[in-house]
Amino acid sequence: MAGLAHPEAMAPPKPGRTRTAPPRMPRTWWTAPRIRTYLLFDATGILYILVGFLGIKIVSRLGQGPIAWQAQMKALENPIYIAFHVLALASVVFVAVRFFRLFPKAQPPAIGPAKPPPGNVIHAGLYVVWLGLTLLVCLALAGVIL
Amino acid sequence: MSTTEKTIVISRFDPDKDEAPYTQAFQVPCDPSWKVLDAVNFIKDELDATVSHRWSCRMAVCGSCGMMVNGEPKLTCKTALDEYGDRVEIEPLANFPIVRDLVVELDGFMHKFERVKPWIKRVKERAEDMENFNQKGTYSQSAEELGRFKQFSMCINCMLCYSACPVVANEPEFLGPAAIALGHRYNLDTRDEGTEERHEIFRGEGTVFSCSYANECSEVCPKGVDPAAAVNQAKFGAVIDWAKGLVLPRAPRGLD
Amino acid sequence: MKTLLLKLEPIIWFLFGQGIMIGTMLLTGWILVLGILMPLGLVDPVHLNYVRAQQLFTTRFLGLPIAQLLLAALLILPLWKGAHHVRSLLIDLGGGERDWIVGSVLYLVAIIGSVMGIGAVAGI
Repeated sequence: MAGLAHPEAMAPPKPGRTRTAPPRMPRTWWTAPRIRTYLLFDATGILYILVGFLGIKIVSRLGQGPIAWQAQMKALENPIYIAFHVLALASVVFVAVRFFRLFPKAQPPAIGPAKPPPGNVIHAGLYVVWLGLTLLVCLALAGVIL
Repeated sequence: MSTTEKTIVISRFDPDKDEAPYTQAFQVPCDPSWKVLDAVNFIKDELDATVSHRWSCRMAVCGSCGMMVNGEPKLTCKTALDEYGDRVEIEPLANFPIVRDLVVELDGFMHKFERVKPWIKRVKERAEDMENFNQKGTYSQSAEELGRFKQFSMCINCMLCYSACPVVANEPEFLGPAAIALGHRYNLDTRDEGTEERHEIFRGEGTVFSCSYANECSEVCPKGVDPAAAVNQAKFGAVIDWAKGLVLPRAPRGLD
Repeated sequence: MKTLLLKLEPIIWFLFGQGIMIGTMLLTGWILVLGILMPLGLVDPVHLNYVRAQQLFTTRFLGLPIAQLLLAALLILPLWKGAHHVRSLLIDLGGGERDWIVGSVLYLVAIIGSVMGIGAVAGI
């Protein structure tokens, strides 16, 4: 019927006068669409770690001289790396969409006398900043600027 | 008015007789206007008087009638039976120890709730603080100041949020959505001076940082309290206070 | 170890939060160009040949190594987002009891990565 939660979940500080049955979680918890989205959101963490370490490897090759750098740039053309980066990009977009939705309401109502802008303004602003910075980074890497 | 017969499956558990909870199915003629609670009351009144469940106000303000309906935490007095098909499964709230049938143990929550000191804390009471207030009397608060915390004060302690939270299910010490939201409500109250102390509690055992922002608590909250917003605002506040504590020396505040 | 983790939660959460923010804002372009468009030849890889890459990633502004700082943030902060979220996922999958080990290992990985990242960026 239901799975078990942690045996001490919501346990009282002192045992009650009668024996209680252990706390349960609904068996349908895992399959609900919102929960699947949330678990996927957390699972993207693995890709972020891999992207981070791959990025570190790439940049460290730069410090090893032109031959190492050239070899690294060539290595990135391997379809497995490209597929990995496509997956990583999908993860970043997925994370961004969920994060931008949840970020505005986590802002404090005021910091001293200053009040943050309304939630939907922050939400829209995050997208604007994201697209703007992504464009800047792309243009910089592609040699158009800087 | 025509009634529809539905199969209502209730989770049963008597600690004196049963090893573990089991289910019992009842055929209930359901009126189209009924809420889930009406079906449970029908079962208790007409079919099996030994079924135990909590309920009181029947209008979603007391927070007593929370149960899992087809795997989702709901206030049964507020949930229309019409939303469900022929088979409705009713279980006690998830993540709580089960006392009997549909009744769960709430002392665990009460303990967490007390820990956040959900009351107005002041160094000196206004009536005695003659240096700062030139007349005795009540605290006045503008509508804007009330607006900052009012939403978080609407909690009816129904515990649906605890049933929805994956962290509550897996981390027994976690303070949980309602307790943190109510602590945060006092932090936002201009009459209160206990913010730093509460933030220290928020960083201690059961830390707010265990929250993984699943947002399930806010999705199931029947009063629109949005505890996820409170918890995540509290994280931000707790970090600021922690950083301030590292950089600036702390003068003793004389609170408790 | 549990108390140490508890004490460090504020800074871990802060790094994680910046990791999501930076992981979105700066990493998107990085993945798009370096990981997809250039390897596919849709953007000419000559723009990131050794000389130009060196020059771009060591760009200074007002005397500060801005490009290296941003690069370090881009590489390191996502590690903290990743570590924190993987820890959270493993707790949700029933790992509450083991969390203190799992969390410590994951954050150790993030720390090692952060040090490696600083080393890689400093060595450009």
